Amino acid sequence: MPKAWMNPPTFNAWKFVSLSPLPPWALVLLALGLVLGVALAAWGVRREPSRGRRVLLWALRVGAGVAAFFFLLEPGIRHLQVARMKNRVAVLVDRSASMSFPTEPGGPTRTAQVASFLEKAAPRLAALQDRFTVELYGFDPELAPVTAASLAKEPARAGTTDLLSAVRSAAGAGQGSRKLSGVLLFSDGADNTELKAGVVGRARAALADLNVPVSTFTVGQEALKDLAVEGLKVDDFAFVRNSLTVEVEIHGRGFSGREIPVVLSQEGKTVASKTVRLESSDDVKPVAFTFTPDQTGRFVYTVTVPTFPDEAVADNNSRSFTLKVIRDRVRVLLVVGRPSWDERYLRGLLKQDANVDLVSFYILRTLSDDPGVVSDRELSLIPFPMEEIFDTKLDTFDVVIFQNFGHADPSLSIAEYERNLERYIHNGGAFVMIGGDSVLGEGRATMPTLMEALPVAAAGPANPELFTPRLTPEGLRHPVTSIGTGAASTEAAWAELPPIPGANLTTARPGATVLMDHPHLTANGKNAPLVAVWDYGRGRSLVMATDASWYWAFAAHKDGSPSRAYDRFWGNALRWLVRDPDLTTLKVTADPPSVEPGRPVGVVVQARMADYQPALDAQVRVELFSVTAQKPVAVQTGTTGADGVVRLEFAPPEPGPYKLLASAKKGETDLGSGEDAVAVRAVGPELSDASVRPELMEQIAKATGGKAYRLPQDGLPDVPLLDPPVVEVGRAKDQPLWDRWYYLVALIGLLGAEWFARRRFGYV
Amino acid sequence: MSARRLTRRNLLLGSAALVPLLSRRADAFGEKSRFIPAVARHGGRWDSRLSGLRRIAWELQRRTSVEVVPDARPFALSSPELFEYPFLYFGGEGGFPALTEAEVANLRRYLTYGGFLLADANDGSDGDGFDSAFRREMARVLPQNPLAPVPSSHVVFKSFFMLDSAPGRLLNKPQLMGAMLGKRAAVLYSQNDLAGAWSRSESGDFEFDVSPGGEPQRELAVRLGINICMYALCLDYKDDAVHLQLILNKRR
Repeated sequence: MPKAWMNPPTFNAWKFVSLSPLPPWALVLLALGLVLGVALAAWGVRREPSRGRRVLLWALRVGAGVAAFFFLLEPGIRHLQVARMKNRVAVLVDRSASMSFPTEPGGPTRTAQVASFLEKAAPRLAALQDRFTVELYGFDPELAPVTAASLAKEPARAGTTDLLSAVRSAAGAGQGSRKLSGVLLFSDGADNTELKAGVVGRARAALADLNVPVSTFTVGQEALKDLAVEGLKVDDFAFVRNSLTVEVEIHGRGFSGREIPVVLSQEGKTVASKTVRLESSDDVKPVAFTFTPDQTGRFVYTVTVPTFPDEAVADNNSRSFTLKVIRDRVRVLLVVGRPSWDERYLRGLLKQDANVDLVSFYILRTLSDDPGVVSDRELSLIPFPMEEIFDTKLDTFDVVIFQNFGHADPSLSIAEYERNLERYIHNGGAFVMIGGDSVLGEGRATMPTLMEALPVAAAGPANPELFTPRLTPEGLRHPVTSIGTGAASTEAAWAELPPIPGANLTTARPGATVLMDHPHLTANGKNAPLVAVWDYGRGRSLVMATDASWYWAFAAHKDGSPSRAYDRFWGNALRWLVRDPDLTTLKVTADPPSVEPGRPVGVVVQARMADYQPALDAQVRVELFSVTAQKPVAVQTGTTGADGVVRLEFAPPEPGPYKLLASAKKGETDLGSGEDAVAVRAVGPELSDASVRPELMEQIAKATGGKAYRLPQDGLPDVPLLDPPVVEVGRAKDQPLWDRWYYLVALIGLLGAEWFARRRFGYV
Repeated sequence: MSARRLTRRNLLLGSAALVPLLSRRADAFGEKSRFIPAVARHGGRWDSRLSGLRRIAWELQRRTSVEVVPDARPFALSSPELFEYPFLYFGGEGGFPALTEAEVANLRRYLTYGGFLLADANDGSDGDGFDSAFRREMARVLPQNPLAPVPSSHVVFKSFFMLDSAPGRLLNKPQLMGAMLGKRAAVLYSQNDLAGAWSRSESGDFEFDVSPGGEPQRELAVRLGINICMYALCLDYKDDAVHLQLILNKRR
């Protein structure tokens, strides 16, 4: 703590004071009376022809008036004991991470250079202690006392540089009312907050308002060799199967004329790459990547440029971000083998769903049909655009539905596009095959390649008999067939539905989940699946092995009670197919999705039971999986609260993209698994830019009336400092001046002399 | 080549060719998902056009990809079985007694949950006979959704054939009437005896002459019948954006 410099306990200052007991208004009245007396005297001699006499009489009256006032005021001398408080001088040292960069390639760090300078300047700083309290702070941007030794020892780590905030804090810091006489600011000038754009506008006004000269000491050299990914611009979320653009700036210093490859990758998989050419030794080139995410979820993307061996900073050569890919409306392609009641009710449902964007193609006429027209102009038919929908536009659909669609005629056969469809599903698409007499073992189009992606295989001729489908144990819990609010309600809802006519005979493939089956139609000793689902590659597919699900829409109403079973079933199916996040029993959310370096990774897990009620006391296990290393790096476990939610935290991991893989159990019941992505950033805004900004430091000095210097310096130069104006009062002693006899003699003498002169000049 | 000769030959040849095809498919997957017109049995003369309905089903099979059972199955309007036949024909010659409450309620539910009703004044009446009785009953079945003229821009005029009129055996009224439930026409009503133009006698001859347009008008009536069946099956499919430009070009 700085100490006030104190005088010895003697009076060391004085001042004139009035010791009169009269109140101020009485003194004012008396003073007015005296002025009046002087004025009357002057008035009385205004006709005096002799200028000498006139002046003498005026002077004598004025003298007498002053003497009389002197007595009224009772002047005295107040002896004072004063203690001068010394003003402060703040020495501010930037503690942001960029101060750990070398001053020059192979040189000491910027902080080390400041520490060495402060040691050299120590004698001059000590000399300043006579007039000022010199306070040495590091700022990050909070002020904290430092010493030259502690600077050299502790590396600078702060994630931001905020010079204005530091200077403001210094002006407000210190003890009591001690004012700041000056600031010595040591920094590389790499401000990334208020002064990022320079000393302009409000920042300039804020600096000027401080009324303190800030002298700046720029540390570090400008000409570093460095390549950095900067200025990332991307939305927080994107729509699946819609293109989006990521913009970055590649900032290169010392790479004039070099071609730099820039790569955008999604969790290790290259999404796009470009090459930029840096034209000058300090050049910033924008790069824009446009790509189309093909799956919903949260993913970590990374923009990378190569790291060259002699670069100042390697950590700023890549930049990661997370992107949440959501869907807009579910875009459904409905391809119908021929108009039928099954098609009519599915169309009615999909068209009235505001969340569905339906594109449909029906085969209204085959080669064997004869519409009986002379010209095709009499028909409203359009060609079946197979190439467009199964090739060029296929990836734009969230779900493709084949409804009894299987034609062997060359003009309508999709044999050529089966592989496209199989790949579409494998790569994250969703597919539904609805049965009938042209597919799943019926008709002549077997579609073997497409069938690979389906959870069932054809197993024989269809059975046209009425039957009541059975809900399997899996179907009771599965989101597709859970059409009630709980298991009992789901079972009751299905039981109410009328029997349906006709089912294709299929068998479930290994790995398929059968949700409903036929009660007596069997293949290989197992009941034939009616509704089966599975995950195929990154996609999903569903088979409905009948063309009579429309009975649930229409025939279900025959006894008068309304039924929503059909709408719920197909609504659920679409949501499951497109991986609606609300349909997962375990919801995993990285909190936050992007983590600054050195910060912990948080994750919120929400567990629900199969009936979608919150799972209390569920055991949650979350694995932090490094996408770069392709292995888990940490595991955390926890137990959910009453709301089924638990928040877990991982110690700060190495920078890079990570997956949070969660699973949960309640007792012996498996509550499923879920995942999210999190980007642990290699560098914050602070380390992404190794540049030194001497011009900013000069602007600060100029705006505040300080001076700008550059390190290294041999010693502390003469920096501008305000003089300390503050005086504090201690003890006082009054010494009257008016009570001397000669003052009374002078008054009487003056009055007497005036009377004598007036008599002499004939005025009395 | 007259339409009469053409259709007669097709009837003989096509029917023969169709029999094994229909029976094979029916064996394989049943008939319930096929197009089978149901016929409303009411208290008046409801069954005078059954051959016409079988004929239009047959035409649908011949001209389009739709699979049919060329039959016409009568049901009481109160029958729950109606809910297995989403296409219902309601025709008649002359008036008919009021429907029972159960029939009205069942028909209302049928239409509300997705059934389609083609009404046809076999007597070509307007303000009397079948017309007055049918309008009276429709006011009970769908009181909030009155019958109104169907504009020529409606999708039923382009659901398979490109049409611009609505003739039947007669041409009393240039347009169809319809009752809309939301965007869907749940009821279409012709006062031109549509099914009269389709009807054939057991000997294979058309039962009625078509006036005033003769055989070309009969062909248009058949096309309209197919379009109506297609509309019942595909709803507003032909209003989808993918068809608009092409249909616009054909209209020019």
